[in-house]
Amino acid sequence: MANPDAYTPEELMAVTIAREVRDYETVGVGMVSPIPAAGCILAEQLYTPHITLIILDCEEYYPFPAGSSELHFLAQRGELDLFFLSGMQIDRRGNFNLHVIGDYNSPTVRMAGAYGSAMLYYMAHRVILFRDQHTKRVFVEKVDFVTGAGVTPENVYREGGPALAVTPKAVLAWDRAVGEWVLDKFQPGSSVEEVKDNTGFALSVSPTIQRNQEPTTAELQTLRTIVREKMARSYPEFVREKILVEGRRL
Amino acid sequence: MGVPFLGVRGLLHSDILTHRPDLLVQDNPFNPGEPVVVAQAIRPHVAVFHALKADRSGNAITPGHRDDLMMARAARRVVVTTEELVEGELTQRDAGENSFLPAIDVDVVAHAPLGAHPCGFGSLYDRDDHHWQAYLEAAKTDATFRTYLERYVYGVRSHEEYLEQADRTRTENLIRNT
Repeated sequence: MANPDAYTPEELMAVTIAREVRDYETVGVGMVSPIPAAGCILAEQLYTPHITLIILDCEEYYPFPAGSSELHFLAQRGELDLFFLSGMQIDRRGNFNLHVIGDYNSPTVRMAGAYGSAMLYYMAHRVILFRDQHTKRVFVEKVDFVTGAGVTPENVYREGGPALAVTPKAVLAWDRAVGEWVLDKFQPGSSVEEVKDNTGFALSVSPTIQRNQEPTTAELQTLRTIVREKMARSYPEFVREKILVEGRRL
Repeated sequence: MGVPFLGVRGLLHSDILTHRPDLLVQDNPFNPGEPVVVAQAIRPHVAVFHALKADRSGNAITPGHRDDLMMARAARRVVVTTEELVEGELTQRDAGENSFLPAIDVDVVAHAPLGAHPCGFGSLYDRDDHHWQAYLEAAKTDATFRTYLERYVYGVRSHEEYLEQADRTRTENLIRNT
């Protein structure tokens, strides 16, 4: 399984996420988040069997009697260990933008907005940002609109915040002391130069920088069988288009 | 809950606060020096829910695990439209894996089969992609959107007439055979 064409970018990201989940964590996955959903189900199958996994809109992974308020209140109580967020833009200081591109009053793109993300980013113990594109339009010096702030003053109550940003090209680690991203791993098929060239701010490189390990046969097999089956009802299009059928090549 | 406001976590130093007059930053009275966001209670005039089943007193069952009860209680008036109007009394026990709205929190019930169209509804019927595509096209300009509203909203006198406009045959084909 050494050929990087033998899996999709989404599969690579799901596998990358699966390796970051820690056993016994309470893990939440929000709406419109098929890549983290796949990663967390894969983690539970292969690496972290004791996690409590909550996936919104997925019956098998929904332990609450009421709606998504339950996940938000769980996080507000400080009981959510890991959550996943995405952003149209993510900046050097860990801010993400789910609101507008351009000026707020006459935007070029108006998005759906924050939902609970501006609370979850502070109250989940670790947040992994995920984005299926790694470009200078996504990773910007400063977001057009701060939906959630990566860095806040000492007196702001915060259980946690950004931990990693996972893309098809890289894994960025959050340096809490500095309040900036550090290039921790580049994905198979990419390179330090390629990541830097596609990031819209100067990115420091970890002294322990390495190439991320390719998805293993076991990871891909599990993803394409058990994980596919468990996700099929909630994410039929994602499963059909982004997770390969065993043996098929792109 | 009926409270005038609540303290909420997070949100500090988000640009959301500059655009939302109902979210204010205050000093935490129980921990002076700590800023905390207080959110004004949302009090909608009307909340509308589409139910799988409802009875004539207003008890209603909506699909899945949802926060409908919280929303119903926030609103001054609550309207339920329903796929099926049942005789007798529905109770929490009839809801099973679905959500229950008790009659005390519901003001009005209307029978409206296929009432979620063009959205899909629970496991009963699928989204009408054809209609959604037409809606998205129409929404691009004020003029085309006005035409859409004229045809599907202002120009119909009943839900029945709406379904005729929306192509009843295609719509009924969305119903899942389970």
